[in-house]
Amino acid sequence: MLSQPHPSSGTTVVTVDRVSLDYHKEREPLPVLVDVSLSAKKDELVAVTGPSGCGKSTLLRIIAGLVRPSSGKVMVLDTEVTGPRADVSMVFQNFVLLPWRTALENVLFGLSSRNEFTEEQKIEKAKAALDVAGLSGFEDVYPGELSGGMKQRVGVARALATEPRVMLLDEPFSSLDDLTAERLRKETYTLLINPQSPVQSVILVSHNVEEIIELADRVVVLSGRPAHVVGEVDVTMPRPRNKKSEEFFHWVDKVYTLLS
Amino acid sequence: MADTRPLPTALMMPGNVRAGQVISLVEIAGSIGGKVDVPKLADELGADIAVLLPILDTAEMLGLVRTEKGDVLLTDLGLKFQKTTRNKVRMLRDRVATIEPFRTALDLASRKKTVTAQEIADSLAEIGLKWHYKPDLNEALVRTLLIHWAIYADLLGYDGKSGEFRKAQSKP
Repeated sequence: MLSQPHPSSGTTVVTVDRVSLDYHKEREPLPVLVDVSLSAKKDELVAVTGPSGCGKSTLLRIIAGLVRPSSGKVMVLDTEVTGPRADVSMVFQNFVLLPWRTALENVLFGLSSRNEFTEEQKIEKAKAALDVAGLSGFEDVYPGELSGGMKQRVGVARALATEPRVMLLDEPFSSLDDLTAERLRKETYTLLINPQSPVQSVILVSHNVEEIIELADRVVVLSGRPAHVVGEVDVTMPRPRNKKSEEFFHWVDKVYTLLS
Repeated sequence: MADTRPLPTALMMPGNVRAGQVISLVEIAGSIGGKVDVPKLADELGADIAVLLPILDTAEMLGLVRTEKGDVLLTDLGLKFQKTTRNKVRMLRDRVATIEPFRTALDLASRKKTVTAQEIADSLAEIGLKWHYKPDLNEALVRTLLIHWAIYADLLGYDGKSGEFRKAQSKP
């Protein structure tokens, strides 16, 4: 069953349709995800949460085309995801930067398979993405010389440089200190969801419920072994969302109730 | 020959404070409005007081906040900084240029065209300004400070391949 349409529904950008995944242990199938369905519409940020180890990141890798599901399918706009694709980008928890390459070279790496662009165009796009991510001037700096927040900005720039329609965020703020995470969270949302952004939908995997309520239009809660969708919450709270407000706690509580 | 120069009274940027932390502090102090006492600010920021204090010192050094008997107030510059949405640190360019190690780095970069963190750290150590007593860690801290603040403030450019800083070709 597909998820119910969001009240502000527009075009559906991502559809996860009854996706299941089995690993095999001594030839016995070990189900990890069962019948997971969700969708993300244009200008929506959908968060996926659930207990540690339940398969949230695996689901994101299936959407990215990095892992093939055992059954079910993932559609991005009108086409089925059968492998990694240019219009879907991912930002990882641990930044995954190449330490021997500068910030600019790391962003260029994301563009390396895009043969439709000349080298000059790629450099131009990479510089523009670094600028958008707030790292103008840091092109020739190596990751080891950057702070955690700046490294993640390079990760965001690398994902943005390909001008993706879908952005997948895998716990992107959890390796950062609280202050940096707080700022980057706000910035990333406005960076991704705005009329100038090529990104149409964002899927965020996070175990931080407050972070989810701050950012998401909709929350999909996974639980159990094997993991399945135990509920969805439409977060209709207007933005900007005050984390100290009673309304905010109401939404946090709603998600916790599904999780426990 | 003995160094007869007077002991330094230079402003020194704390080695462990990052631009983003100062931005968060100013934004939160501004969103609360008026005078905020330090424990409340620490609580709002979710930061330990030991973490908060050097950030607060830096914000004060940069002219963004004023502290009065344990209360924190935004200055006019702080209010302007809070409202700016992009390139906030660029606004502080002239201010950052008066603080060490940026002052010396700019001076050396104007005279020598390119300069390494080692040369800047050595020059500062000669006048008694050190961020760590071990020379290698001192040099690393100076380089980190320069990368974090001086590039954001558009004072210096840095080439990671050669490890050299140069004066930034200022953008409009």
